[in-house]
Amino acid sequence: MSNELTTFRTLVTAFTDFLIVAIHTILYERNIYPRTAFLSARKYNFAVRQNRHPKVCEWINDAVGSVETELLKGTVDRVAVVIYTKDNKPTERFMFDVSRFPSVPTADVDTPLQRSGTDGEPLAVLPTVDMEEQFRATMGKLSSCGSNLKPLPEGCTFTVAIELKGDGQPPIGHPQAWMPVQGVANESKSRQDKTATPLRAVAAGDMVFESWIEESDPG
Amino acid sequence: MSQEYSDYLAINVLNEQQLVSYRSLSRALKVHSNLAKQMLYEFHRKQNSKKPGSVHATYLITGTRKQQPQVATQANGVHSQESGEDGDTVMQSSPPLPSSSAPQPEEEEEDQAPISIRTVLLVKEERLEQAKATFERIMGIHVYSLAANGLSDVQSLTECNRKIAVTYASEDPLQAWKQYGTIQNPNVKRRTQRRQPPAPAPDTKSTAAKTKPAPPTTKPAILEKEASKESRDDAQDSKPASKPSSAKATPEPAAAKKPAQPKRQASNIFKSFAKTQPPKAKKQDSQGSASASPAPEAEDDVPMNDFSDEEPDADDAEEADAEETSKEPEGQSKKDRQKALEAMMEQEDEVMEDAAPDQKEEAAEHDAGAIDKIAEKAEEPKEEVNVENGRRRGRRRVIKKKTVKDEDGYLVTREEAAWESFSEDEPAPKKAKMAPAASVNKPSAGGKKGGAKPGQGNIMSFFAKK
Repeated sequence: MSNELTTFRTLVTAFTDFLIVAIHTILYERNIYPRTAFLSARKYNFAVRQNRHPKVCEWINDAVGSVETELLKGTVDRVAVVIYTKDNKPTERFMFDVSRFPSVPTADVDTPLQRSGTDGEPLAVLPTVDMEEQFRATMGKLSSCGSNLKPLPEGCTFTVAIELKGDGQPPIGHPQAWMPVQGVANESKSRQDKTATPLRAVAAGDMVFESWIEESDPG
Repeated sequence: MSQEYSDYLAINVLNEQQLVSYRSLSRALKVHSNLAKQMLYEFHRKQNSKKPGSVHATYLITGTRKQQPQVATQANGVHSQESGEDGDTVMQSSPPLPSSSAPQPEEEEEDQAPISIRTVLLVKEERLEQAKATFERIMGIHVYSLAANGLSDVQSLTECNRKIAVTYASEDPLQAWKQYGTIQNPNVKRRTQRRQPPAPAPDTKSTAAKTKPAPPTTKPAILEKEASKESRDDAQDSKPASKPSSAKATPEPAAAKKPAQPKRQASNIFKSFAKTQPPKAKKQDSQGSASASPAPEAEDDVPMNDFSDEEPDADDAEEADAEETSKEPEGQSKKDRQKALEAMMEQEDEVMEDAAPDQKEEAAEHDAGAIDKIAEKAEEPKEEVNVENGRRRGRRRVIKKKTVKDEDGYLVTREEAAWESFSEDEPAPKKAKMAPAASVNKPSAGGKKGGAKPGQGNIMSFFAKK
């Protein structure tokens, strides 16, 4: 990325690329699909796992594409990769808090961004090396998380969810990419059994987000 | 010593939950690899005796195994899906122990008799006993890495090595090997910097001119192409008058191509740019085409010596060539030149494609650019110029070339600034006036000419008339 003209779109794209890799890694680590279905790949100069099944890849790419659309609108508070048991109870959530992305009006999505330091000197909006380093660290943490978490029961599945900011427009319409979910009511009750494991806070230029894992005992 | 390693391991493995391989440990604590392996083992043993299962180890087993024909052909570190050995990876990694060697799976599927294969195997501790059982004979076994909670993906071990390569890149392996115990070939020696003759100049040039590696290295590519593409055309187009120059032009590209070929052409290009001699500008002009301004300069390099004799003849060439002296401001405006270079580099794509058809247009453009530069040149001479009685006298800084033989026996042409006095008949104001004139080159050429040949006096009279 020697091109200095980073726009909000490139920022979002960089994040969604990372999200795709993260989802593949989560699938591998949590054994959602058999490990033989994964091949070794390399991203950010790091060895990662990627699922080979075309449908899985397609689904993930579509899901992340929809996340990207919402991110460009600037309405997303958090992105979650949720693991469900066979009974549709969420056991684990891998959260990515993206509320600190710069809020850019829709018209300016392709405008080059500029970032100034404290004394006004221009900084890189997306310092590639820094960012890759931090992405690598996050992937490393994600990879080792598998051993920390409680083993999952058989037959789990996963999905991608987004939590919107209060003032955003929910993505309802035709064709509807997102299913509205009533999650809020249960929040306070289940907070007691949730344990959060921090993953990593990435801060590289304007790419600022935090990630953690929430586990709730499937009760 | 013993405290150090347990502290280090406690911090990294337990607190930060990182993966520590024996190699990272040896680099961090500056100890021999074998000692690091022992440290890992000790720590693992102690921690697990205090609290079982707190630290997990990955082992490296070296030995011979019976071949299992159906998996023998899977090489390249791909998961060998041996029955019952899920998760073990037959790694084609360089063995840490001197006695072991890389696995050599043999392609003998027809032959079902078991064959011993020397194997290096990375196993997680859970599978250690199982893996050991598959070995016919174990030559060595040691702890490869420690992790707090068990390694889920063996691949993550690659990250340890990458980190080492990055963090300890500054260490010289030829000295560090004794400390760390890396396997060393006693016959190896460091290669002396042998490059093509113009290449040693980059050291001087790069420090002097503060070259940026990127533009120069791309420039050689452009230079080459431009030299080949344009020099032929230029020879005919832009040099209407002078025979000697045109004659020189054609051998120039040929000559230039050769120095242009070696990778380290930074010297060539920047040599040309750093030079402030008028002949450079002239050569440049004679080559024509704006984008080829680097090209002619590079071409100048090699036949430089010849050209110094050609200067009086080249005069005519310059006059005829309405070219840019272009980005050839004098000594101190290296920065300007660099900026111009970079600007040119950014346009290099367009320049390359349009090179052939648009030579003239670009030349015109550059004239305009050059006019501004000339004006600024006239204003900015650092050298002392005394204007008296209509004669400009003074000491001026000129770049002279010196050819020396360096330690490897190569001839190196170096440029050194030298002061020399000059005097001209033409007073300064007139010179400035001439700048905006059609042939931009002349005044600078004339001025430089005067500088180059102080003794010859009234050369400026030629230009004065024009």
